[in-house]
Amino acid sequence: MRAGLLLAFLAPAALACELPGGAAQQVKSAATTVVYRTPALKLGAHFAVEFAVCPAPESVRVDAWMPDHRHGMNYKPTVVALGGGRYRAEGLMFHMGGRWEFVFELRSGGRTERLAHSVRLE
Amino acid sequence: MKFWFGLLLTAVQSAHAFSDADVRAVAAHGPWPPAFKADPSNRVSGNKEAIDLGERLFFERRLSSNGEHSCSRCHLPERNWTDGEARARGLALTDRNTPSLANVRLARWFGWDGAHDSLWSQGMRPILDPREMGSSAAQVAKLVRVDADLSCRYRRVFGAPASEDEKVLVDVAKALAAFQETLVSGRTAFDVFRDALVKGDKAGIGKYPESARRGLQIFIGKGSCNTCHVGPAFSNGEFHDTGVPFFIEPGRVDPGRHEGIKKLLSSRYNLLGKYNDDVARSSATGTRHVVLEHRNFGEFKTSSLRNLALTAPYMHNGRLATLRDVVNHYSTISPDRLHSDGEAILKPLKLSEQETQDLVAFLESLQDGGGRYRRRAFVEDCR
Repeated sequence: MRAGLLLAFLAPAALACELPGGAAQQVKSAATTVVYRTPALKLGAHFAVEFAVCPAPESVRVDAWMPDHRHGMNYKPTVVALGGGRYRAEGLMFHMGGRWEFVFELRSGGRTERLAHSVRLE
Repeated sequence: MKFWFGLLLTAVQSAHAFSDADVRAVAAHGPWPPAFKADPSNRVSGNKEAIDLGERLFFERRLSSNGEHSCSRCHLPERNWTDGEARARGLALTDRNTPSLANVRLARWFGWDGAHDSLWSQGMRPILDPREMGSSAAQVAKLVRVDADLSCRYRRVFGAPASEDEKVLVDVAKALAAFQETLVSGRTAFDVFRDALVKGDKAGIGKYPESARRGLQIFIGKGSCNTCHVGPAFSNGEFHDTGVPFFIEPGRVDPGRHEGIKKLLSSRYNLLGKYNDDVARSSATGTRHVVLEHRNFGEFKTSSLRNLALTAPYMHNGRLATLRDVVNHYSTISPDRLHSDGEAILKPLKLSEQETQDLVAFLESLQDGGGRYRRRAFVEDCR
């Protein structure tokens, strides 16, 4: 019983990089892991990104851009911390088809780390 | 001889065949027309009596300060709701070309600079603009309160007019929007072809003119025109610098989207404000997150291409007289005229004479014939 309680308390931190509800994309550096999930991407439709960062940073920003076109989105997402290293970014929109890159900007201890992941929208 | 002719025909056909990716790109421009979806920010969107009221108001000259200008003065049904002028003229000459109202309900932003986030807030701008109709909330509210027929129809839709003139003005704009949402262009030769291509209907595919088909392949291929002119309305609804000079006259420039975003965010009529009927404000996501950047200077909204042949002259200032001029613009565009810190999308297409003709033929195939709108005869009195 005691062991069961201990596991319950440890579980949120241990599972921080697993989003509830199934499959997610993963981006890793030597020190950090980001897992994120979007709804099915659709041209010209606002969407939200759910993601988790391990270890949890002090602050986080999310953006996206089209490297081939040299431009970003026309919208600035807002990020809400859900606790336990999990977040939700709202207000993203892809207004063109092609290759987009999600960028997760993570700040901790005065240092910034950027993790990027490419997706393709037809 | 027959054998060689057959081989030649096969070679020509395969040269203009559509790959799976092409079919997906073409399919993305339909189906047409799209189903109606009510605007949650406008409580009378789709309301028949609001549409009737809005149609009357659209042709109502007493909405203007001099009693001579209605919305229909610049938005002529027979010209796909434009006026054929380079720059619109109301009480005075304005800075921009009259945009079409056809399919306007599909837009995300309204006006060349997107200074409005709803069709109803956009509708107030020309009524109040001193260069267009030069009216006021007080004048509009007085007309609705005093004219027996308009007053009766207003009450049927909204109830008794509020004591605040501004609320009545917003209601009038919402009725105007309800009417404009009904302005949907018809099916075109392209739509018939698109549906046939999706179904694999060879007979249907074969009815589309060969020149238009070649033009379509340039549109989705070499030209990458569908990067911005995408979706059923052939517009991504956003803003771009297309190298059209934004000097209005010596010493005066049109900042386009840069100023549009500032106006949007400072407007009390935007979707974050009290006049949005969508209590949850889910319709305000774009307004809440839109961001102002230096590159927005000189950007203008991507126009829909449906019924384009009826809306000359072209671009935000009517600078280009014909469709051929527009194609030539993109064929010879100089990257030096684009923002150095802007997006890297455009490059000169360097089209041959045949390619130019084909692209124009494709654009012309997006025309539904036009002129089908008939103003309804209102025989029923409202008492």
